[in-house]
Amino acid sequence: MSVRITGIGVVSAIGLSVQENLLALKESRTGIMPFSFLDDDKIFLAGAVKATNPVLKKESKTQSQFISRTTLLGLKAAREAYGNAKQHNQIRTGIISATSVGGMDQSEQFYNAYLDGTDADFAMLGTHDSGSTTERIAAELGISGYINTLSTACSSGANAIMLGARLLMQGKLDRVLVGGTDALTNFTVNGFRSLMIYDEQWCRPFDESREGLNLGEGAAFLLLENEKSIRFSGNRTLAFLNGWANAADAFHQTASSPEGKGATLAMQKAIEKSGISPSQISYINAHGTGTKNNDLSESVALTNVFGDQVPAFSSTKSFTGHTLAAAGAVEAVFSVLAIQNQLIYPNINFSTPITETGLEPVTILQAEKPVHAVLSNSFGFGGNNSSLVFSDHA
Amino acid sequence: MYYISAASTISHQPAFLNPGFSGMIEPLHAGSALINPDYKEYIEPGLLRRMSKILRMSVACSGACLKQGGIEHPDAIVVGTGLGCLLDTEKFLNHALTVKGLLPPTSFIQSTHNTMAGQISLSLGNHGYNMTHTQNSVSFENALLDAMLLIDEGEKHILAGAADEHIALLDEISKQLNVRSDSRFTSGASFFILSAEKSDQTLAGIKDAEAVGLVKNIPEQITAFLDRNNVSPEDLDLVLYAGSIVGTEDEEKGFQSFWKMENLHVINYLKYSGIYPTASAFALHFAVDKMQHTRSLKNILICNSLIQHNLGLILVQSVEA
Repeated sequence: MSVRITGIGVVSAIGLSVQENLLALKESRTGIMPFSFLDDDKIFLAGAVKATNPVLKKESKTQSQFISRTTLLGLKAAREAYGNAKQHNQIRTGIISATSVGGMDQSEQFYNAYLDGTDADFAMLGTHDSGSTTERIAAELGISGYINTLSTACSSGANAIMLGARLLMQGKLDRVLVGGTDALTNFTVNGFRSLMIYDEQWCRPFDESREGLNLGEGAAFLLLENEKSIRFSGNRTLAFLNGWANAADAFHQTASSPEGKGATLAMQKAIEKSGISPSQISYINAHGTGTKNNDLSESVALTNVFGDQVPAFSSTKSFTGHTLAAAGAVEAVFSVLAIQNQLIYPNINFSTPITETGLEPVTILQAEKPVHAVLSNSFGFGGNNSSLVFSDHA
Repeated sequence: MYYISAASTISHQPAFLNPGFSGMIEPLHAGSALINPDYKEYIEPGLLRRMSKILRMSVACSGACLKQGGIEHPDAIVVGTGLGCLLDTEKFLNHALTVKGLLPPTSFIQSTHNTMAGQISLSLGNHGYNMTHTQNSVSFENALLDAMLLIDEGEKHILAGAADEHIALLDEISKQLNVRSDSRFTSGASFFILSAEKSDQTLAGIKDAEAVGLVKNIPEQITAFLDRNNVSPEDLDLVLYAGSIVGTEDEEKGFQSFWKMENLHVINYLKYSGIYPTASAFALHFAVDKMQHTRSLKNILICNSLIQHNLGLILVQSVEA
């Protein structure tokens, strides 16, 4: 059981295209830097995309008066993944995006003006709802019909990829653009601060001294196509999506269970579905947010699934920051790149393993070993756990 | 066919735990309030205190639905919400912009769209597939399509539903933007058990559903949908609709003249549910309940174009006992 991936696109703190992202990953260069919002003097570490809204908007050629940063980032990555795909009346095309903040960056501007009693423009709120970000991207690409948005916090992006694969497998669509997008907002930065899991230092996934996450922003999309669609498009297959699963942890609204129940289930089911044996997994792109809770729970889950044979693993959130709903999609693109380029990425800022599990992520770029299969984890609030398995074969 | 084995709704209508409610509903008026069940029967008091309106509605509504269907553990939980947890979103947004220093995290935690689905899995101890769809006015249809896909993949019982909540700001927005509306903005929640097989519990069947984004030609889409399901317009006993399919002022006449059927029975369900993005979930319960109590109803089409560029279609069919 597998689905072909024929296009990828990504925008993150480490680059505005697939090639720029790949280069930074190869050079072990993080995109997390001191950052502050335009109207605020507070500086903190974040993985901001190095492009302003006016630049992104001009480049997007959109006619929309109001367009959220979430949409602009998503549109850029979606265009790269979609390539020069043409509409064809015999090819049923869909788009599934994931976002957790939607147009919150615009809503914040509105709400600030609204609270001040200055002339708040209510039309701005047309970009608020998450679905509208996907609609805008679809409209710019000329996609209509199946347009859907998933919002399951930090696992959203992986879930969009999973849903797309299921729709292809069940013959509902021939081609589907899947991914996620989220912009940095005051809302989320303050949110993670309120939970006291925002690290004021560079985040240190899987390290004993870890204190929390650094937020990032970005977007990534993948084009999934069936055989029929490929006959029309002539697209080359970059990699395959072989397995997927979503499971609920059912432990706590935000925290992961100490025994990693949901994470274990998601990984086990995804690997089982892929038909690839656990020992054949070359690399795990972990969720690895850098919070005390996630990294311990995920480490326990890795041990549950792989015993004492845990494959090479790392969290690329040490490069991009945590891009929330986009994370699953950004890391899916990194997984495809790992397979294409035979790369295992380092986990930056790691020095001491977590006492309880003793697991050590990869700390130096590995480019000498073949990478046939990659497991990618995405876990979210509400105990929403998803795992995807990518490989170089059907 | 996908079988509905249980249905539950919290709305302005006396639908909760009340089979036959479709015979006693009245259009919403300015003073009509949301009919809340006794939430304490479904949620422990400590938890209830922290829960926003949408969260308590979803947990109680889904709880009652599972009880009715005699299902302890559904194979999956799928929820649609157009605008998510607005109360907590506005609360945290307000805090983040006005309060200096450390903020209480509860409203941030409960602002995420999947709070409902997550909380339901938590209250059941359910480890199955857990999904939240948010595509404004067709969020419920997209959730329903996911549930149908899960049944196609071999699952047996899916808890599928939708919820949206009203905040005062929505009224102000619609006033400022001159949104024309023939009903009130409000809140609502509806949940269903969608099953792979017919049973004694079966209330009605869903033959098919569709959600079309950026729809170009609504009449053409409806015709194609019915054709695909071998149903002719003459077979339709009732059309429940929101919004206009042909852009006419008189929406009812629009339907009737479109199919050249003067006597076609059409009802604008927004008059009974009020307006919220996932009101088509109310329409589904309304259709199922009506079918249960009026045996002559065989085919009901729910036609949702609440937002003109989106179209949701659900074909409900009666199931012989």
